Amino acid sequence: MPSVAPHLPWDELIEPGRVHGSLYTDPDIYAAELERIWYRTWVFVGHVSEVPEPNDYVLKSIGPQPVIMSRDRQGEIHLLLNRCTHRANLVCDAPKGNSSAFRCPYHGWTFSNTGKLLGYPFNSGYDGTALKAELGLGRVPRVAQYQGFVFGSFAEEGPTLEEHLGAATDAFDRLVRLSPTGEVELTAGWLQHKCKANWKMLLENETDGYHPQFVHSSIFSVASSGIGDLYGDKSTAVCRDLGNGHTENDLRPEFRRMDQPLGWFGTKPEKVPDYVAQLEAKLGAETAREVLVDGSPHVMVFPNLFIAEIQLFVIQPTAVDETVQHVTAVQYKGAPDMNRRMLQQTIGSVGPAGFLLADDSEMYERNQRGVQARSPEWLTIRRGMHREREDADGFTVGDATDEVPQRAIWKHYRSLMGGAA
Amino acid sequence: MHGSATNGAVGSGLDVATLREVEQFIYREARYQDELEYDAWEALWTDDAIYWVPANGGDSDPTREVSILFDNRARIATRIKQLHTGKRHSQTPPSQLRRIVSNVELLDGEADGIGPEGDIRAGANFLVYESRERGVTLWAGRSDYTLRRTPDGLRMAYKKVTLVDSDRPLYTLAFLI
Amino acid sequence: MARGGRSGVGELSSEFASVHVSIDLEGNGPRLRVEDLRTGQVGFLDPLELETLAWLPEGALHRFLDPSLHRWRAES
Repeated sequence: MPSVAPHLPWDELIEPGRVHGSLYTDPDIYAAELERIWYRTWVFVGHVSEVPEPNDYVLKSIGPQPVIMSRDRQGEIHLLLNRCTHRANLVCDAPKGNSSAFRCPYHGWTFSNTGKLLGYPFNSGYDGTALKAELGLGRVPRVAQYQGFVFGSFAEEGPTLEEHLGAATDAFDRLVRLSPTGEVELTAGWLQHKCKANWKMLLENETDGYHPQFVHSSIFSVASSGIGDLYGDKSTAVCRDLGNGHTENDLRPEFRRMDQPLGWFGTKPEKVPDYVAQLEAKLGAETAREVLVDGSPHVMVFPNLFIAEIQLFVIQPTAVDETVQHVTAVQYKGAPDMNRRMLQQTIGSVGPAGFLLADDSEMYERNQRGVQARSPEWLTIRRGMHREREDADGFTVGDATDEVPQRAIWKHYRSLMGGAA
Repeated sequence: MHGSATNGAVGSGLDVATLREVEQFIYREARYQDELEYDAWEALWTDDAIYWVPANGGDSDPTREVSILFDNRARIATRIKQLHTGKRHSQTPPSQLRRIVSNVELLDGEADGIGPEGDIRAGANFLVYESRERGVTLWAGRSDYTLRRTPDGLRMAYKKVTLVDSDRPLYTLAFLI
Repeated sequence: MARGGRSGVGELSSEFASVHVSIDLEGNGPRLRVEDLRTGQVGFLDPLELETLAWLPEGALHRFLDPSLHRWRAES
C-alpha cells in the first residue's frame, strides 16, 4: 500500500473539541483518506435487490473507484474493478445490464461476471494460454452483506462486516422490520447530486441535529412538518455515538411521547391500510403498533451510507473538494401503497431540486468556501460536551442538537488515519 | 378549433397563429423564470398541473422511480412559497439566470397540434446560463408542454423538462427550470 | 425504464423437443428465456451468449447434447 503523508500529525489536527480546517482542503490528506479509509474499511456498495436476477450487474463505486457489482449464475455477488486487465479500459459502460460475461470494447478481451478471463481475440499472439489464469479482473477482496446491503473492503484482512457495523446493525434490523416481508428493495433508481465540498462536510451533517431549524426553516415554515420540533431545544430526542464512527439521531423518545403510529412519516394508518394490515399480520397488532410508532432509523453508517428514515444516501468522494451524493427511496418489498408515498416524499425532499437537500448542499458548498479563510484555523465541535452521558446500553449520548455524532466521527477517523484511538 | 391539417412538421397547413401564440407563451414563461416572477409563473399553471423533471433519461415511470422533480399543483405552490420565504438558502441569493428557448414546435401527430380535450402539445429546446457563487452552470434540455386554453389565455397543464445530462451527477437545481 | 414482464416470441417443436422462447425483462437487461415445455425447465441466454451462438460452427453444440453431460447423470 502506498504510504501517503505518513508524517501528518493526526493527533494535532484532530482534538476532542475541534478539528483543523486543512482536513477538508488538503489534497495530501484526501489522498491519505482514500488509502486508509476508503480502500481499507468496509464501504457500502449496493443492495442485492439492484441485481435481482442471475447475471444482473450494475456499475457502482467505492469512492473514486469504479466497481461492477454482479450476481453470477449461482446467485453469488461479486465486486469487480471496472478495468480491463489488458490495457486498463473500462470493461462495462452501461449503468446496468444482464450478461454472463463482459467484453472489453478496446480489444475484445472477455471476462466472466465472476471476474475470470475467458479469452481474447487472435490468441496465437500470447504464446499459450497461461495469461488466462493470471489476468482475471481485479476484485474487491472482501464482500459481505447485512440484511441485503452489500459492502466491500479492499483490505484482505481486518474486522468482519458485522464487527465493523457493531451496534449499527440495529439500524438495518429496524429498517427491514418496517417491511411487511422483512425485506427492502432499492428499485426506484438513484438521483446523483453533486456538490463542491469535501465528503466529510456531508458525513458530519447527516446526523447533525443542530442545523435543521436553520437550514430547513424555509420548508418547515410553509409545509406542515413536525421535523423542526424534533430538533429543538426542548426535544427529548438524543444523538448517539454507536461506535466505529457510526452515529445516530434517535428520535424515538419524541415519537413515543406523541404515540402516533406512522407519525414519524407524517401520515396515519388509515392512509395506508393495506400496508398496516400486512404489518399487523406479520408482527401482531401490538408489536406492529410499536414498530409504527418508533419509525425508521436515522443513522449514518461510517463512512458512506446514511439511512435517513425513508431514504438511503450514499456519499461518494470524487475529489478533495467534490462529492456526489447518491440517493434513493426505501421501498418495502410487497407494500405498494406505502412505497408510492415514500417515493413521492423522497422526490419532494431530496436530490438537486429537493425542498431539503438543495439547501443542505448549499451549506456544504458555503462551508467549503468558508474553510479556506485563514482564521480561525479550527472548526469547533464542542456543543454538548458538558452534558454528554451514557445511556442504558453504555453508548455516549447527547441532547438532540448536540455534537456527539461529530466528535464520534472524528475520533474514529483519527484512529483509522493513524492517530490515537 | 385552431387551424387545419398539419402535424407540426413544416407543411402547407401549419397553424402559424397557434404556433406564434404558443411561442409567445413559452417565451413569457422563460422570462418569468429568469426574472424571478414567481407568482406570475405560478399563475401560468392549471389546477391539475404536473411539473416533471425526470432523472436517468426521459422515459422513467415517476410513480415507481425517482425523479429530480415531480410536482403536482399543490407541490408547485409549496415550491413557490418556499422561494418566497427568503430562507431557501439554495436560492438566497437567487441564481442569476438567462435562458434561450428555441426550436418551438407544435407536436403530437394530432392533425393540428391539438391533443385530447383540445389541449395543445408543444415542445422546445432550451439552454440556461446560471451564475452562482459556485460558478457558472449550463443546463440544457427539452421541454414538452401541454397547454390549455382558458378564459385567461393559455395555461400549462403539463411541463416535462428532460435535461440532456439527467443521468449524470448534477449540481443543485433550485431555480425554476 | 421500469423493469418487469416478458414478451413472447413463440413455440418451437420437433419430435424430440418442445420449447417456448420469450424475451424476459425481469433482470437489469433483456434475456432470451427458453422453457422446455416437457419438463418446465427454464434457461436464459443473454445477448452476448446469443451472439456467440450465432458464430458457432455447425455441430459445436453436439458436445452439450450428450444426455449425461448435465441432465441424465449416472450419479444423480
